[in-house]
Amino acid sequence: MPDRTAIQSLILESVQMLAEDFELEALKAPSPETALYGVDGSLDSMALVNLIADIEEALAEKFDASIALADEKAMSAKNSPYRNVASLTDAVIERMPS
Amino acid sequence: MKTIVITGTRKGIGKEMAKHYLAEGWQVVGCSRGEGSIEHAHYQHFSLDVSDEDAVIAMARKIKASHGKVEALLNNAGIASMNHALLTPASTVNRILQTNVVGTFLFCREMSKLMRRTNNGRIVNFTTVAHPLNLEGEAIYAASKAAVESLTRILARELAELKITVNAIGPTPIETDLIRGVPQAKMDALLARQALNRMGEVRDVINAVDFYLREESDFITGQVLYLGGIN
Repeated sequence: MPDRTAIQSLILESVQMLAEDFELEALKAPSPETALYGVDGSLDSMALVNLIADIEEALAEKFDASIALADEKAMSAKNSPYRNVASLTDAVIERMPS
Repeated sequence: MKTIVITGTRKGIGKEMAKHYLAEGWQVVGCSRGEGSIEHAHYQHFSLDVSDEDAVIAMARKIKASHGKVEALLNNAGIASMNHALLTPASTVNRILQTNVVGTFLFCREMSKLMRRTNNGRIVNFTTVAHPLNLEGEAIYAASKAAVESLTRILARELAELKITVNAIGPTPIETDLIRGVPQAKMDALLARQALNRMGEVRDVINAVDFYLREESDFITGQVLYLGGIN
């Protein structure tokens, strides 16, 4: 399994590409602390859906990992695992096959 | 070439639709629990249970790698069970809901991700006239398809921004395995409730699917079309 740094880099790259597509200034230079969704986040639900689908595709292409980032708390403003880059990284690591 | 995913292609309507779209020049990706029964250069088959989340995700990833994107999905796979509600075991209820509702949902979810860059995606779900007709003996089957109709209407809204239309077709009885074992008297009574009192044919279903798939149908979404004059 790829390490945390590799996964986080893939996520940062996906966020950056999405920021270009959706013209989201706040996400054009993301860091692990960058808020994505919910409180202080810049993504609306459609942008979040696109980001998650982009990350799933990138994980499959780069690491041959077939995972879905569907989550019961995905749309929670406070507790979404997708609230920032670091929590999204945790969510991916949790789902990666060992 | 455009790619269409059709579930339940080993036999019946699913197989006929796969053959039709192959003849129309589409690349067809099909699936069924068992081995595929179509040999064609542009046909790819996956053997899986449509309600197996991991298997559906893996199928979507393989389609992404081999085809890049998907233009259309026909959620045809489905199972029925005719029985009195008081004699229906919970295992049958779970089995029908898993295939008809969970399976339809999973394919909508995963294939939508492959349609989002086409800006013209099409999803067609399959319901049944057993739902509007409130057919006795079909409580669970009809209830599962009522769920598919609700899913269709809500996904039509959720996926609108991705330029994916989501509609459904409700065929009347057609000579397939799904209605094998239904007594003739019951079938005659059912046909009598249709405005057009004949058995449905595969061509009737394909005609309705073709309508939904047309590029010009991009303003038609969240609709349920019953065949035979049922409403």
